[in-house]
This record gives sequence, structure tokens and C-alpha cells, in this order.
Amino acid sequence: MAKSGTIKPDDFSEEISAQRLKSSLWYTIITVLILSCFLVPLQDGNLSFMFSLMMWVTLATGINFIAGFTGYMPFGYVAFYGIGTYVTAILVKVLGVSEYLAVPAAGLSGILLALLFAPTLRLNGIFFAIVSLSLAVVCQRLMSLLPEEITGGSHGLNLGVATDRTHGYYAMLIIMFVALVSASWLGQSRLGKALKAIRDDPDAADAMGIHVSRVRLYAWIMSAFFAALAGGAQAWFTGALDPITAFDVLITAKTVIYAMAGGLGTIIGPVVGTVTLVWIDEIVWQQFPVLNNFLLGLIITLLILFMPRGVVGSLMQHFPHLRKYIM
Amino acid sequence: MIPKIVLQLKGLNKSFGGLLAVKNVDMLVNESSISGLIGINGAGKTTLMNCISGIYRADSGSLDIMGVSCLNWSPHDIARLGVGRTFQIPRIFKRINLIDNVMVPALNDNTDNKTLYERATECLDKVKLYDLRHNNAEELSGGQQKLLELARIMMFNPRIILLDEPFAGVNPTLCRLMIERIKELKEQGKSFLLVSHDLTSIYQLSDHIYVLNQGQVISEGNVDYVRNDPEVIEAYLGNA
Repeated sequence: MAKSGTIKPDDFSEEISAQRLKSSLWYTIITVLILSCFLVPLQDGNLSFMFSLMMWVTLATGINFIAGFTGYMPFGYVAFYGIGTYVTAILVKVLGVSEYLAVPAAGLSGILLALLFAPTLRLNGIFFAIVSLSLAVVCQRLMSLLPEEITGGSHGLNLGVATDRTHGYYAMLIIMFVALVSASWLGQSRLGKALKAIRDDPDAADAMGIHVSRVRLYAWIMSAFFAALAGGAQAWFTGALDPITAFDVLITAKTVIYAMAGGLGTIIGPVVGTVTLVWIDEIVWQQFPVLNNFLLGLIITLLILFMPRGVVGSLMQHFPHLRKYIM
Repeated sequence: MIPKIVLQLKGLNKSFGGLLAVKNVDMLVNESSISGLIGINGAGKTTLMNCISGIYRADSGSLDIMGVSCLNWSPHDIARLGVGRTFQIPRIFKRINLIDNVMVPALNDNTDNKTLYERATECLDKVKLYDLRHNNAEELSGGQQKLLELARIMMFNPRIILLDEPFAGVNPTLCRLMIERIKELKEQGKSFLLVSHDLTSIYQLSDHIYVLNQGQVISEGNVDYVRNDPEVIEAYLGNA
């Protein structure tokens, strides 16, 4: 193919260098985050707060796989989290399985549930969102109605002293680490590019030879897997669960808000959004306990109103030169 | 020598509710040729394109591509048979950069990333979008988006290319560039089905023209035959 003379011979090398720079920055952020979380139990820090931070980072990263990369917004995302908590609790409490096996099994249960719900991916937009929300409600009712000796009925299950909080904490740390590494792999992979093409125009992607439903299913499975793992670690850490809190739609709402605030579709966005908002939430709660929800709601409204693509997405939109530093 | 048929439609029908948008259409596209498809608004041109590329499911008829019967196959399976297309309103991947946009049709290839990248930059260079390669596609003008679709098709490297209104809303300079690239691709052995309202360009490029009116082929033949066919003149200009 004849060239018009504008292509530089070392163009690809420059591209690789830019990718490396991006990756280095991203892995530095991951390392700082992981190290800070790792040190908390050793220094008698606020274990519950940091656990919750890690859980939200994992959930926001997980929802980004399906909402940010393919444009599908699963309002019933909590179903995967809830099923993860229940599978872990049932395996530990009823079957006497070790938590070390129960949490990975929770991840697998998330995959199975994702495959079971996969036909919903044929729907689009608000229809998909509503059906996925309904499925979460179905899961919640199912857990309440199953025999009490298995799920504990509407009272839920209490693992009591059988679980070690610190071990649960480190399990969550490992899960968050794997989620973040998976996100960075996806961001640079061909699968990630295909997913982003599907998000922007599924028909055009299909006409370009992308098997849209199959590729979308991969994102759906990854998304469900990490939510279920996070649920499993939550059951391990807290040692107690019930159907109302395990399938609370507020979990989906918060996950979506955190991920959107940072920037869905970017790798770093959900992390930035979660860390920022969870800290703000904590500060507001300490300083203005009465106004907590009001102030947090106001901050989120302003953020979505003025930065609809989130902090990171807006930065990339308005300052194009920053794109080479942001994953 | 008898030209090889790469795309053949027989008795294709497509309706929406009670409206028959495509009626019993027969059509041939030969290898390394450009077949033009013209007609007034609502004639069924884009519907026909969508039936060929698998976006719409036809009601009846047959579609053979390179000898393979593939009516109502999914769009990605049609694409893998070697059919690429552009859209009337450019359908680019807005929030990803131009390089990644162009790479999309080659993501399934067993090519290393370096080769893929180099091919993508070459395709962008051919349509003079190389300097914008790191921009997101949503930052391009309408005409540039049409060029980006053409670059994507070049990257795809299909045997058959369906171009839906490639010159609509494009300034004359970019139009000339597109015509140049289409001629180059034809010389490389690609076959085209070209839909356009721009009769000057379509007369200039096409080897054979089909005229659709109310979903039916009312005339077909070479440029001279079609432009002088009274039925075509009546369809375009009315009885006045």
C-alpha cells in the first residue's frame, strides 16, 4: 500500500512506549492501594472501613466490565454479590467447607448464575436493566423461601466465631488485586477493544465480524465472577448475612454511582470514583452525621450533572493530551 | 470470459408490517466490478443492503455470496464470508480512537499487534486521517467519519464491499479522495454494491446499475441504458 509520507517508521515503538507509561502509572496506583490495604491490619487500623473500601473498588471494577465496556447497565448486579455471600455461608456453616474453598466456589456460583441469566443480554437498555433488577428480587425471595436449615430463611445465617475477620480481610485484598489486574489486562486486550466497539455501536461491530453476543457474555461472566467473590469475602469477614442486606439494591446503586463518578469505560475511573466517594462519605458522616445523605446526594448530583462521563472520563474528554497517561 | 458472480439475490422480499419494502428483487454483483444501486428516497435501497449484510431478516428469496447460500445469516457470519459495509449515517465507534476504530474488523485475525497497528496506520494514511489517529472518533466531522468508515473497510479487506451513500454530506475534495480509493480497491479485485443519490459519482464509477422504485427493480443495465430509460426518468422526475 502506497504511503503519503506522513507515517513515521518508529510509530509503533512510540505507541508501545506510551502504553508502557500508562501501565506503569496504573500499576503504581494498584501497588499503593494494595500496600495501604495490606498494612491496615498490622497497624490496628480501621479494618471495617478498609474492607468496605476494597469491596466497593472490586464491585465498581466488576460492574465496569459489563456497564463500562459494553454499555449494559445491570440494576440487579447485587444478585451476583448476594449469591456469593449465600454460597460461602452455606458451604461453611451447613457443609463445613473451609472458607478458602468456599469463596472460590462463590465465584463459580456467580459464573453459573451469569450463564443462567445470559438470555437477558438479548434485551437492550432499560428493558435489560429492569429485567436484571427483577432477577435480583427473585434471588432474594428464593433465599428467604428455601428451607431454614439451608439458607436460614428470612433470618439468614450467622457464622459466629467460625470465621476469622483478618483472613476474610486478606481474601478481599486478593480479590481486589485480581479484579484490578484483570481490568488492566482487559483494557489493553483485543477483547477489550471489541467490547468498547460493541458499547459504541453493536450493529456496526457485528457487521465488522465481531460475535457480539459471545463477546458480551465474556464481559457478563467476568463482571458476575468478581461480584460473587466480593460477596463471598463479605460473608467471611462479617460472619453474618440475611436476604434483605445480601440482595439490597442499594448495593447496586452505590456500585453504579462510584463507577460512574470516576468514569465508566476507563480502567482507573471506577477506582478513583470509589476511593474518592467512600472517603467523602466517611468524612461527611463524621462531621455532619445529620446531613450525611443530603450532602452525599448533592455531591453525586453535581458530579453527574457537570461530569456525565465521570472525573476521569471528563478529564480525557476535555484534555486530550492526558489520554496517553490514563488507562 | 464469463465474469465470476460473487453476490446473487433471487426473489428477495422484505416487509415491515403491511409495507413491502423490497419486492422480488433479483440482483448480481460480479467479481472486481462496481454495481450501482439508485432510487428515490424510500425506494428500499438501504433495506436491501441491510438484508444482504444480515442486519434485517428477509421474508423470502435467496442470497448467495461466493457460492454460499447465506440468507438470514447473522451479520458477523456474513462479514466472515468476506462482506464489509459502510452505513448511510456513519456508524463509527465514537469513544475510541481512530486506530482502535480501524483495528476492530481485524481483531479476530491471527496477526501480531505490530502488524495490525501498522496496517491500521496505513489505512488511516490512505484517507488522510493519520494525523488524527489518537483522537476519539466522535471528534471527527461528518465527512471525516465517512472516510474513517472507508479506512475501516480497507482494514477489513473483504471480497465484497457494500457502500451506503458514501458521498452524502462529503465535500468535493473528500469525495474525490473517496472515489480514488474505491477505484484502487476495485483494481485490487474487490466487488462493490454502491448506493448513492449522487448520480454523477455513481455514473462515473459503476459498471452496472440497478434502479429501485417502491422496492422493485424497475431498470438495470449499463450507465447509458439506465440514464435514458424512460421508466427511470419518470421515477426520478415524474410525468411533468
